[in-house]
Amino acid sequence: MRLFFGLEVHAPWPDQLPHGRLLAPEMRHITLAFLGEIDETSLLPHLNTVPNLPKKLGWSGHFTSVDFFPHRHPNVVAWCMEWRVEQKSLLDYQQQLSSYVKELGFTLKEGHSFKPHVTLCRSPFKENEWRQAFQPLPFYTGALHLYRSLGHSTYEPIWTRPVHPPFIEVEHTADIAFQIYGSNSEELFRNAQLALAFKAPSLLEEPDPPFPINTWESTIKGLNWQIGELDQKEGTPFKAVSYHGNIETKDGLLTWEMIVDV
Amino acid sequence: MYNLKEIAPATYIIPKEREMKVPGLLIATSELIHEMEIDKPLDQLYRVAQLPGIVGYSIAMPDIHWGYGFPIGGVAATDVKTGVISPGGVGYDINCGVRLAIIPIRFSELDLPTRMELLKNLFELIPSGVGHGHKHKPSLTDADYRNIIHLGAAWSVQQGAGFEEDLSHCESRGVIAGGALEAVSPEARARGKDQLGSVGSGNHFVEIGEVKSLLNAEIGQSWGVEKGVTYVLIHSGSRGFGHQICQNTLDHFMTEGYAKGLPDKQLVAAPLSSSAGQTYFAAMAAAANYAFNNRQQILHLVRKAIHNVLKIDPREVRLIYDVCHNIAKIEEHLFEGKLHKLCVHRKGATRAYGPGATELNPLYQKTGQPVLVPGDMQRASYLMVGCGNSLTWASACHGAGRARSRVKSLKEWSGRDPIRAMAKENVHVMAKSPRTIAEEMPDAYKNVRAVVEAVELAGLAKAVAELKPHLVVKG
Repeated sequence: MRLFFGLEVHAPWPDQLPHGRLLAPEMRHITLAFLGEIDETSLLPHLNTVPNLPKKLGWSGHFTSVDFFPHRHPNVVAWCMEWRVEQKSLLDYQQQLSSYVKELGFTLKEGHSFKPHVTLCRSPFKENEWRQAFQPLPFYTGALHLYRSLGHSTYEPIWTRPVHPPFIEVEHTADIAFQIYGSNSEELFRNAQLALAFKAPSLLEEPDPPFPINTWESTIKGLNWQIGELDQKEGTPFKAVSYHGNIETKDGLLTWEMIVDV
Repeated sequence: MYNLKEIAPATYIIPKEREMKVPGLLIATSELIHEMEIDKPLDQLYRVAQLPGIVGYSIAMPDIHWGYGFPIGGVAATDVKTGVISPGGVGYDINCGVRLAIIPIRFSELDLPTRMELLKNLFELIPSGVGHGHKHKPSLTDADYRNIIHLGAAWSVQQGAGFEEDLSHCESRGVIAGGALEAVSPEARARGKDQLGSVGSGNHFVEIGEVKSLLNAEIGQSWGVEKGVTYVLIHSGSRGFGHQICQNTLDHFMTEGYAKGLPDKQLVAAPLSSSAGQTYFAAMAAAANYAFNNRQQILHLVRKAIHNVLKIDPREVRLIYDVCHNIAKIEEHLFEGKLHKLCVHRKGATRAYGPGATELNPLYQKTGQPVLVPGDMQRASYLMVGCGNSLTWASACHGAGRARSRVKSLKEWSGRDPIRAMAKENVHVMAKSPRTIAEEMPDAYKNVRAVVEAVELAGLAKAVAELKPHLVVKG
C-alpha cells in the first residue's frame, strides 16, 4: 500500500471546478512525507512516537497560484499557497517528520525540496481552464493523518493526530457566528479574520489596523476597521462584528464567540 | 423563564421585577410563543426595560428574535430629557425599511417571457449584492451628502429620480430632521459614496408580484390597491454608510464609558441630551435620510425597467408608502393623560399611525398609515393599515422573522438548485450570489401570516391586502 503523512486542508472550496479527475474536498491535503509502497505493519507500532505538532491550532494562509506537476509532462493540478505568519514552524515540522521517518529506516520517495501544495485534480484536464478558475481562497490545515492510498484519488486515514481548528462556524438564528480560538490575542484576531475571509476572501489582503490589538474591544474594532476598508473597495457581506461575548480561556486556548451582522 | 400574563388578545405583560424600570409587553399568540425560541429575546427585552428614562413598556412584536442589544422586533420609548438613545435600539442598518408601489397592470396580463424580461431588466439596472454600486455614476461629494441629509428623499426627486408626490407617501416625507454631516466619519462617507441606489445583500430585495386578495376592500380601494394588480416591494437600508455610523457610535460610546457594567455591550446608550447622544442622533438622521434616498433611487430604476419592458409611464407607478423599520424618532405620545416628547426606538418594528395622525397625508389621515410587512419570497407579504395603538407607541411588526439559521438553510439546500425549486413554485429569482438564495429560501422564515394575525388580534394594525411574490431580485 502507498502511504504518506499529510495534513487535511479546509477551505471554502468553489462548488464548480473545471473538468478533470477531481479530488473530493475531504480528500484534499498537503503531503508532508511520502513513504510510497511500504508494508504498513512495519510502521504502525512506531506511530505513537511521531513528533508532536508545534502548534495547538492548524496553520493557515491563502492560495496564491495554480501549478501543474510535473512541469515537463503535467498530470496533476495543484494550488500553491502562502502562509500567514507561521511558515517556518511548518517547514521545521516537515523536516522533523522527514528525519523521523528516515530514522525508522524508511526511504522518502520525494527527493525535491518541500513545496507545500494541494492537489485538486489529475489528468486529463485543460490547463487554461484551471488557470482561469483559480481563486485566491483562504485555507487552514486540520488533523495530521497517515494516509493509505486506495487509488482513484481516494485516501483513507489509518492513523490521526487531531488538531484544533482555528475557528468553527456555529448556529445563529439571524446572522452568522463563529467560535474563534487562539493561543494569544494576536492569533485570536488573525483567526477571526480568517473566519470572515472564508465568506469574503479579500479580507485577508487588508492591512493590519492602525492601532494595537490586545483586548476584546480592540479585536472587534480591528475586525470592523478591516470590514470598513474592504467595503470601500469592493464591498463585504458583513455589516459589522458585534460587541458580543467575552474572551475566555479553555484548555490553554483563548476562545470567543464572534457574532457578525450580515 | 418569564412570567407572561395575558392582558388582552395576543398581548402579554412581563411584570416589572428586579432591575426593570418598566414592565415588558409581548405581542404574540400563544401558538407563536410556543413555536419561537423566546428565552434569549426576552432576556434582551428584560435588559431594555432597564434603560434610563424608558417610559411605558419594553415592547416586543410577534416577529421578535435575538438581535444586537435590543431584540429584533423591539420597541422602546425614552423621555427626551431624562432618557437615553441606544444604537442597539436602531440597528446597524439605520433606516432599513420597505417601500411599496403599485404598477397599473394586472399581473395575469404579463406572460412568462415578459415577466422574465422584466426580471432581467430589473437585475441589470439595479445594483445588488455585496458592495455593488453604480459603476458609471459619480461618487457622492460632501456637498451631495449635505443636501441628502438636509432634504432627505426630496434630494433624489430634485435629481430627477422620482416625483414630488412620492414624498407625501413616505414616512415623515422621507426626511428626518436634525441630521449633520459633521457627525459622520470620513470612513462612513467613503463607504456610502458609491452605494446609493443599490439593494445590498442579506435579506434585502426587490420583489414584483400580484395583489392576491383584498382583505379590507374599502381601505384597499381608497389607496388604489386592487385584487390582481401588480405591485413592487423594495427592501433596503442605508448600506455601508449606516453600518459605519452605527459602528463608530458603538466605539465612541464604549470609549466614553457608557458600557461600563452592562451585561450586553451592544445595549450601550448615552443620554439623548448629552453631546454623545446628540452626535449619534445627528449621524443616525443622516443615515436615515441616505436610506430614504436609497429606496427612492431604487424605485426610480424599477420605474425605468417597467417603462423599458411594459411601456408604462414612470409616473403611473404609484408609490403607496415607504416605512422605516430600524429607527429612533422623536415623537409626541399621550401617556398617563399627558403629552410626552419621546425618543421612540423601533428596531425591526414599523410605525403604525392610525387615523387622524397629523404627520400623514390627507388620505392616510382618514384611514391610518400603510404598514408594510414582507414575508418570505414565496408565500406572502402583507399590506396593513395602522391603528395607532397607544400601548406600543403606534408600532407594529416588520416581517416574518427567521425560523432557521443561514448555516442550516445552506446545508438544507446543499446540492440542490434553489433557483429551479423556486421556479417550480412560480417564483423567479435572480441574485448576484446563489449562496444568498439558499440562505433566504422560504423555509428559512416563519409563516408571516401568523405574525400578521397576532398584530391584528392585538389591535396594532389591520390587514388590507395579501401580496404574492413572483419575481425577485436578491443580493
